[in-house]
Amino acid sequence: MRTPRSLHALALVLALPFAACDKVEQPYETVQDGGGNGGGGVVRKVLLEDMTGHRCNNCPAAAAQATALQAIHGENLVVIAVHCVNGFAAPLPPIGDNILDSDHRTPEGTAYESAFGITFLPTGLISRRPFNSVLQISDGDWGDAVNAIIGDSTAFHLWFDALTVGGGSVSTTVKLALLGPVTGDHNLVVALTEDHIIDWQIDVNATPPEVPDYEHRHMLRGNLNGTWGVPAIVGSAAAGDTLTFTYSNPLPASVLNPDNCALVAYVYDAATKEVMQVEERKFQP
Amino acid sequence: MHIGHPRRLAAIALSAAWCAVGTPGSAQQLPEVHGNFSADGQYYNDDPDIGAVPPPQTWGFNAWGNVVMTMGRFQAGLRLESYEPSLLGYPAGTPYKGSGIGYRYINYHQADLDITVGNFFEQFGQGMVFRSYEERYLGVDNAMDGVRVKYRPLPGLYLKGVMGRMRLAFDDGTVKGEGLVRGADAELSISELDSAWSHNWNLILGGSFVSKYQTAASQLVTQPDGSVAQLEMPANVGAWAGRLNFTSPRWNVYAEYAYKINDPNRRNNYIYKPGQGLLVNATYSTRGLGVSVGAHSYDNMLYQSARNAPTPFDLNINFLPPLTKQHTYNLPATLYPYATQPNGEVSYQGEVFYKFKKGTPLGGKYGTKIALNGSTAVGLDTTGVDLLTDSARTGYRSSLFAGNYDIDGKYFTDLNVELRKRVSETWELALTYLYFEYDIDVIQGKPGKPLVFADMVVLEGLHNFNDRTSLRFEVQHLWTKQDLGNWATAVAELTFSPHWFVAAQDQYNYETFGSTFIKDGKEVPAERTHYPIGSVGYIRGGNRFQVNYGRQRAGIFCVGGVCRQVPAANGLTVSITSTF
Repeated sequence: MRTPRSLHALALVLALPFAACDKVEQPYETVQDGGGNGGGGVVRKVLLEDMTGHRCNNCPAAAAQATALQAIHGENLVVIAVHCVNGFAAPLPPIGDNILDSDHRTPEGTAYESAFGITFLPTGLISRRPFNSVLQISDGDWGDAVNAIIGDSTAFHLWFDALTVGGGSVSTTVKLALLGPVTGDHNLVVALTEDHIIDWQIDVNATPPEVPDYEHRHMLRGNLNGTWGVPAIVGSAAAGDTLTFTYSNPLPASVLNPDNCALVAYVYDAATKEVMQVEERKFQP
Repeated sequence: MHIGHPRRLAAIALSAAWCAVGTPGSAQQLPEVHGNFSADGQYYNDDPDIGAVPPPQTWGFNAWGNVVMTMGRFQAGLRLESYEPSLLGYPAGTPYKGSGIGYRYINYHQADLDITVGNFFEQFGQGMVFRSYEERYLGVDNAMDGVRVKYRPLPGLYLKGVMGRMRLAFDDGTVKGEGLVRGADAELSISELDSAWSHNWNLILGGSFVSKYQTAASQLVTQPDGSVAQLEMPANVGAWAGRLNFTSPRWNVYAEYAYKINDPNRRNNYIYKPGQGLLVNATYSTRGLGVSVGAHSYDNMLYQSARNAPTPFDLNINFLPPLTKQHTYNLPATLYPYATQPNGEVSYQGEVFYKFKKGTPLGGKYGTKIALNGSTAVGLDTTGVDLLTDSARTGYRSSLFAGNYDIDGKYFTDLNVELRKRVSETWELALTYLYFEYDIDVIQGKPGKPLVFADMVVLEGLHNFNDRTSLRFEVQHLWTKQDLGNWATAVAELTFSPHWFVAAQDQYNYETFGSTFIKDGKEVPAERTHYPIGSVGYIRGGNRFQVNYGRQRAGIFCVGGVCRQVPAANGLTVSITSTF
């Protein structure tokens, strides 16, 4: 039987996918520095909000990913661990047995959970900017999402001009200088985080999975100026403008050790919620 | 033509269909429009006793409507969807929000050629390398957006080619995953090709190939010693499958083997070991008797079109069929449902159905049906390969059907027997006993939970008061000393044909008759919680209205081996479905 020419063409089209296989024999590459440490000029830093919970068994792996990325990008990557989603972050009954009894949730975290539609963990927000069309980014994609932003030129220069801690309170002055014209409303948030908190965590890779002395990193304890911060730029601002924000607040009652705390200031676009610049200042450098 | 924008394509689809109406020579062909509508709204109350926390909006609302227009050789369709906001726990994976077009396509069919542009669902074989499908009440929808071509060059030879990207989420319209999926399938039906085969006997042979493309980015991983490594990711990951299906009046034998090349991804800890799977099913049926046996083994076969898909529910290219029975009774279906473990599972199932004839000692006046079913699923028996010393990063070694049959490898066991008998003109009863072994750790991802051993008994009855009124009831009980303890459930449904029904159900979790209960190895006060819910429904023509009020237990909701978590809720639910 003579095969129709159209059948040959169709067979060719159907065979095209067969060419599409990449076999990787030696997958390991040398770890590259993301370039975020060099330069010295003002570049865009990235805020990684690690949405997590102490009952989320895969969250420790995500936290390790955040730590690995910080090892590469240094101070250009700022991490905040936001404990949220009741099923993962609420204290585990029976309360009183001291096992997973702590409540690391914050009103701010609960608001972010609702606003950004966080329903599963672990997940992350990378400067609250969509990556591959989604805002909630899998920890496996954090590296690519960070690389897509970090080190870019920016009009926002943000720094802590003063920081005083003592007597159960924290006082700070944050300055925002505009290196170029900016349009659109932008808000400034100053968050307080605490590092090196030793407490329970469920970890699927641990045996047994309930880990009593897990080290929680960069935990959000609360904001100094409200969940969504305060207006920093309304309408537009010209290059050369410098804005000053001063706060004096009591430390949140949940803080265990002020020496392990830090302030994180970030500026975000009020319309898109995208974080345009972020800066961290540890209480103890 | 740019086809990426949903609204633009929907307009083109409808325009094409309407243009066809005016085509000379088609005056007799009038367009037909069909569709359906579904809406589910839920009002949430605060109920601390069951851990129900209402969302800020207090109302959840899922709705969608399909419209399909058919005109001669053309068909065009679209679905509008609305999640304002979506019901709690819906969907299982990446969230849905907003309103917009969720599905649209144009289809053209002529002789042996069938072309679809836009969204489509398709499946190769049993779906081991490719299945695009939806289960709307789970929120599973990995619809392709691209092109599908089906062609039959010869009688008995069926070819398919697909290309597109998969639906990931919904945000005032569909959000697609990054990965591009391309696939081809060929199927040969011998009885159609060779007249020597009768149509009662047939052998169907099939083969598939699917490839996904995603940019070959480097991937950071944390090694077992805490160091950080960078991996080269394959941009193209291919999978192929071969299958055969022999059918005769009494036999149906199906086998499919699938193989996937290195597919490092978040769910397999970025290992480069190939995946493979094999499933075999055989059924024999004759008058009053049915027997089926099946087995499958899956190894590293989770196949998603994004290597870092947010959850295991998102962007699945393939579907690995479950072997375990999908129960419909309340307790076994909602407390301990099983979902296939794609990255490592060996499973077996056997089932026998027999009907004792009328007039025999066991059949009685109306006959008696008995069904025995058993299934089990265990993990693969693997030998780990040290990631720190293995430059190929294979992760582990394994063989198909080499299962870990120790107690720590057991995932699931289900042994059940059902006896169904009509006892009079107006009464029919069914008695079912089930025994489960269930690993919460593996199946629900809650490490540290003990293996659950559970016994269940279900009595179902149906009484027809007359031709228009009937009562169906279920009484169920579950005994277990692990997890949440004992459960009892009663269900009653009164139907007034043809329009009305009312139903009441109560799940009662009383753990134990004692004052304390051992939970997670600790002695705690026993809890006693009722989950009552009442329903009223009205059905007329193609329209169905239902109102429920009551408590909904937090748990797992599964359909076809795919499960999602449902949070606790208390409130009013309103459902409307309509077809036209």
